[in-house]
Amino acid sequence: MMSTAIFVAVAIFLVLFLLLIMRHEEVDEQESVQADASTRHECRDALQHQELVFRIFSREDREFILLMRSPRLQRIYQEERRKVALHWVRRTSREVSRIMRTHRLIARQSRNLDAGAEARLFFQYLQLRFICGLLVLLSKTFGPHALPDLASYAGELSQLIGRAVPDAAAANHVASSGIPGTP
Amino acid sequence: MPRPQITSHRQESPVPHDHPMSNPARLVTMNNAYDDLLRRTLSSIQSDLARLIYLASTRDYNSGVYHHEGLSARYGPESTRVALRAAHKDIFYKLIGLSLEELVNELEIYVRISREAPTGFIHTWQELEPYRVAVPMEVDSTMVQLFLSNIRLALEVLRFRQEHRQADPSASSLQPLLGR
Repeated sequence: MMSTAIFVAVAIFLVLFLLLIMRHEEVDEQESVQADASTRHECRDALQHQELVFRIFSREDREFILLMRSPRLQRIYQEERRKVALHWVRRTSREVSRIMRTHRLIARQSRNLDAGAEARLFFQYLQLRFICGLLVLLSKTFGPHALPDLASYAGELSQLIGRAVPDAAAANHVASSGIPGTP
Repeated sequence: MPRPQITSHRQESPVPHDHPMSNPARLVTMNNAYDDLLRRTLSSIQSDLARLIYLASTRDYNSGVYHHEGLSARYGPESTRVALRAAHKDIFYKLIGLSLEELVNELEIYVRISREAPTGFIHTWQELEPYRVAVPMEVDSTMVQLFLSNIRLALEVLRFRQEHRQADPSASSLQPLLGR
């Protein structure tokens, strides 16, 4: 009984910790969100490029760098890839949050909501946010090369949410005017 | 993990539906301009990185508008602009899809065809970062980040090899690796 309670407490702590990380990351990224507003129209394209995920989290590139046997090159490589990986994770998380926010606005006005589908979508969203938090934490700790499968799964999940919310693309355009810092 | 492909800009959607070039006759002209550009101009350039830089050089720094006298004379300025923009994005996507090793090779070829001393070339590119202006407009920002990051890494790899070669002339056996 005691061990179950500890397990649940640890799980809740972990979830809260990861959500806190993502929250912190989002605050850090506020300025870049504003700068990024001009490229919002092609955000959905970004979600479609699994090749991009493959390249960013590539083990092949790391092996190539390791062959050089230069600690300096390895350090530069780690820094560069980590930066790009975190950029991708933040953008994916931000974009899916935006889609969900817009979907919520539309869903409020809808008269024939499918509660099951909505619950499934919300669960997928929570799952993606959790994975994004995990990706940030693990990318900073181990480097992106250790996470190609997790990143690929996050990419697939974001696509799934994007497809499940077909009205988001059009509504996104409307909702974007309500985002702070967006003209 | 299977390696997916970044979709070519042209295969995906040559022209947006609401674009003036969405007129079928104009679309044919644009496709002809694109094919002409590939066949006559880009095929004579040795590497994709050199092609990217060439295409970026046809774009006005201030207005972002592409110009090409020869193509404009044959297909009109609008078709030429669309063809150049599409080709620019296609080459960019192709470079994004390369592994770091392949990109290092691309850069190595570009250094060779520039006829500059490698050390000076690497130093200048690291200082001025001229490759930043080679990025097409309206492409995904993560792709831009990855491209810039990979070029910085490729320059570091070339610099490392260059220093290694200077420190140990017998290490010229590294040379064949560069063009692999």
